[in-house]
This record gives sequence, C-alpha cells and structure tokens, in this order.
Amino acid sequence: MRTLNQNILFNATGVKQVEEGKKEKLIALLVILPGILSVFIFFYIFSGWNFIISLTDWEGFIPSYNIIGLKNYIQLFQDPLFWTSLKNNILLIVLFVPGVMIIGLCMAVLLDQRVRAEGIFRTIYLLPFSLSFVVTATLWSWMYSPRVGTINFILGKLGLTSLRKGWITDPNMVMYCIIIALIWQFAGYSCIIFLAGIRSIPHSQTAAAMVDGASNFTIYWRIILPQIKASFITAFIIFMCFALKAFDFIWVLNRGGPGYSAHILGVTMYKETFSFDKFAYGATYSTIILLLSLLIVVPFLFRIYKEK
Amino acid sequence: MLNIKPSRILLYGLLIIFVIASLLPLWTCIVTALKSSQEVILTTPITPPIDPTMEKIIESINLLKKPLMNSLILVFSGVMVSAFFGSFIGYIFSKHRFPGSIYMFILIVLCLYIPPQVQLIPMVRTMSNLGLFGNLGALVLLYMLFGIPMCAFIFKTFYDDEIPDSYINAAKVDGAGIWTTYRRVVLPLSILPFVVAALLQVVVIWNDFIWGLVLTSGKANLPITVAMANLKGSFVAEWNLQMAGALWVSMPTLIIFIFLGKYIIRGYSGL
Repeated sequence: MRTLNQNILFNATGVKQVEEGKKEKLIALLVILPGILSVFIFFYIFSGWNFIISLTDWEGFIPSYNIIGLKNYIQLFQDPLFWTSLKNNILLIVLFVPGVMIIGLCMAVLLDQRVRAEGIFRTIYLLPFSLSFVVTATLWSWMYSPRVGTINFILGKLGLTSLRKGWITDPNMVMYCIIIALIWQFAGYSCIIFLAGIRSIPHSQTAAAMVDGASNFTIYWRIILPQIKASFITAFIIFMCFALKAFDFIWVLNRGGPGYSAHILGVTMYKETFSFDKFAYGATYSTIILLLSLLIVVPFLFRIYKEK
Repeated sequence: MLNIKPSRILLYGLLIIFVIASLLPLWTCIVTALKSSQEVILTTPITPPIDPTMEKIIESINLLKKPLMNSLILVFSGVMVSAFFGSFIGYIFSKHRFPGSIYMFILIVLCLYIPPQVQLIPMVRTMSNLGLFGNLGALVLLYMLFGIPMCAFIFKTFYDDEIPDSYINAAKVDGAGIWTTYRRVVLPLSILPFVVAALLQVVVIWNDFIWGLVLTSGKANLPITVAMANLKGSFVAEWNLQMAGALWVSMPTLIIFIFLGKYIIRGYSGL
C-alpha cells in the first residue's frame, strides 16, 4: 500500500511539475523576450528599414520622402565613387585577410614550439588589438609622418633614404599603409584563434608521428594544419566581415584621403550620409555592405549549427 | 657547457622580432608623450626623453576629463545590462530549449556579423524621435542592446560545455523551477563567463567610435574616442599632446589585456 501511495504521490507531483514547468517556461520566455525582441528590432527591423530608406529620395535630416524604387541603386552602379570604393575595399580584403591570417598562423606555430614565457609573448602580441582604432590611427599617422615619422627615420638609419616617402599623403601608397597598420593590429588576435585550434588537437597524434620519425614541418603540414580547418574558417569570416565594415581607422587617419584614394564602402557610406546629408543614398551603400557580409556569413553559420 | 641548438636561437629571434613590431608604435607613443614640444622636434621619434615632462599628459587629461567620465558611464551601464540578459538568454537556450530555439539562436549569433552601417540611419531616426539624439542617453541605450548577442553567445557556449544537464535535472527533481535553478545552481557557477563577457564588453564599448561619432554632439556628450579623434584633428602638429591623449584612451584596455589577458584570450578563442 505504501509503495502505491508513494507512486501516486510521485506521479501526482510529477504531473504537477510538468504543468509548473510549462508555466515556468512561459515566464522564462517572457523574461528573455524584452532582450531578444529589442535585439531583433535593433539588428533586423533596422536592417529592413535601412533597405526601405534606400528605396526613397530622403535627403537631409528631416524625413520627407517619396518612394522612388531602385533609382538609387541604378545611380550607385553608375557612380565612379562607388567603383573606386569597391576597388579599394577589394584591395583591402585581398591583402589584409590573407596577410593577417598568415602572420597570425606563423606566430601561433612559433609559440607552439614549447617556448619559454609563452604567456608573455602571447600577451604582447595581443596588445595592439586592445587599442581603439582612434588610438591606432593616431599612432600610425605618427609612424608614417613624412617629416618626423618613425618609418622614415628607420629607413634613413638603414641607409635606405631613397625609400622614404610621404606614405599616407601619397595616394598610391595610402591603402597599403592602412593595410599594414591593420595587419599589425589584428595579427595577435589571429594568432590566438590559430593557437586555440592547434592546442585542441590531441597530443597523442603528434607524439605518434614523432615516433614514426616525422619532421617538425611534416607534422604541421600533414597533421596539424588539416585539422584546424575550423580555425581557418572562423578567422576568415571574422576578418572578411571586418574588412567589409571597416571605417574607424581610415576615417580617423585621414578621412579617406588624400582625395578619394582611401575611400572604402564604409567610409563613402558615412560621407554620403552625414557629410552630404544624402540619407537615402547612404542607405544604398549600407545595403550593399550588408548583402556582401551576409553572403559570407550565412552559409557558414547554417553549416556549423546543422552539424551540431 | 651550455649547448643551445641554432634552431632555438632562430625561434627566439623570430619571436622577438614580432615583439618589437608589436611594441614599436606603442613605444614611440609613450616616449613622445613624455617629451616637451621642443624636444619632439630635436630628438628622434624612438629615443627616450632626455628630460621627461608630465606637461602634455596633464594637458590632455584636462581636455579629455569629461569624455572619460562619459565613457565610464557607458561602460558600466552597458556591461551590466547586456551581461545579465546574455546570461539568462544563454541559460534558456542552453538548458531549456523550445521548438525553434536553435534557429532563434542562429539569428542572435548572426547579429554579431551585421555591419553597423546598416543601423546608423534608422538609429539616428529613432533616437531623434525619442528626443535622445545628441545625448549620452542615446549611447547608453544603444550599448545595452548592442552587447546582448555577444554575451548570449559566450554564456550559451559556457553552459553547453561546462554545466552538465544532469545538474539541471537534479535541481528539477528537487522541485526547483527554472528561475530557482538559475539562481541557485547556474549563477554561482557562472563567475568565469561573467568575467569574460564583462571584460570583452568593456573593451568593445570603450573602444567603439562610429556610434559616438554619429549619435552624440556637443562637447559635454562625447565618449572618449570621439573626443580623442577631435583632439587629433585640431592639434595637427602637436604630436606629444596627441600621443598623451592616445595614452589616456588606451590605458584601461591595456591594463585589462596585460593583467586579465587570460580571460580575454578565453573569450576570443571561444571559451
């Protein structure tokens, strides 16, 4: 009898628990709802709104506008400034993304050689990444300063006076200067991503290869690199997205100048919108930036979560 | 007899080259900030100051005092709210899944990759409708929301990997509800993700520039990065003042990276 009672009691509380669970789940959802809802409004509704703005002729701060369809996009594709910005942006992507990944990977492989004081090296490599773009742009305009800058000073010391340049005042050099400075800033971050990948490989595998007489190079090339594909993809996505939305560093450095030589999509978007008050046209640029970013991220995200 | 292999020497040589490359711009910043204007002209950019002076350091903090306070306000309010929401959202998505929760979570993570340019114009519009445009309040509100996706991601990853479902089930059997389980079981185990999420948010908010540039106006409302950029624009030739300002702006994040770097690294490498 006792057990029966216990059973009934257990079942009863079980049922009650399930009901309570449902109610509780609802309350929990209500608690997270404001957070999630405002995040979704901020990120998704605004993105949609931005697209709608790009279909209007809104100029200036006060919104009084008509829907004009895709005219802004037609204008955009005929705008030489758009193509200049896109060209500069592609240059940034093509050099910055592989550059920062290769240097970060080199740092990670070097740090993986049972280095003494590894933590100190790692911390130092990551320091540039702690800085705001406003700070790094200031530091690098000092480095590149034509008259008193560090780079020209070092070149002079090395006897390479002929290589001294105006750097960021030279329209043909400025994008490369920016790319080098950004690689400098992100290399430590890239190193951390790859180091985490390398460290996640079980030690037994490399030990086994070593027993078989594999050289250090073979171990990395044949065993470690193929297994850190996930790190490569992560780094690629992060740096691609950064290169597409980059703005701060270039704006603070020289407002995208001299001339239009360092205008990339993010810079031109800001200028059209807030310097010339062409809100609708600026929104057209941002829609393009968003589409390019989504093109890179979405396939990757869905693949990752489908695997899980 | 000390016997060092040449390959080890090469290894440390390369490591040190990377160290020099990483630190050189910072080094020139520090030495220049400590020089008088005359000495900046007379000495090279990398030699230490012969006669160090705090003059420009003090001058720049006087210019940046108010923006520094503004940025502190932004950091504290932003971190508190997004860490709390992030933790609870992470907990629900990790331990109390519901139909469609995985897709909802993908949408939250996707927010991390949406370029800010898309939100600039609608945000300006919304803030002026709310009467907050130009005020610090606009940024306070913004950063509260802005950090939620990243915090949610950090907490969910941590709860997935480090807190076994059996803990939650055990609490359930003992009659604890979702909220009680969170408070009594999950929260006390969440110190690490709280530290990681908070530090990452501090760095992100402190260093952010574009939102302050767009949403605030007037000297009293600027965050420190925008004030610093203005400093750069208005004193072109005064390199020592600019470097002193840069030093103030970078101080908090440098301290975090140097002394609490292991938490930052855990955050960047996915906990």
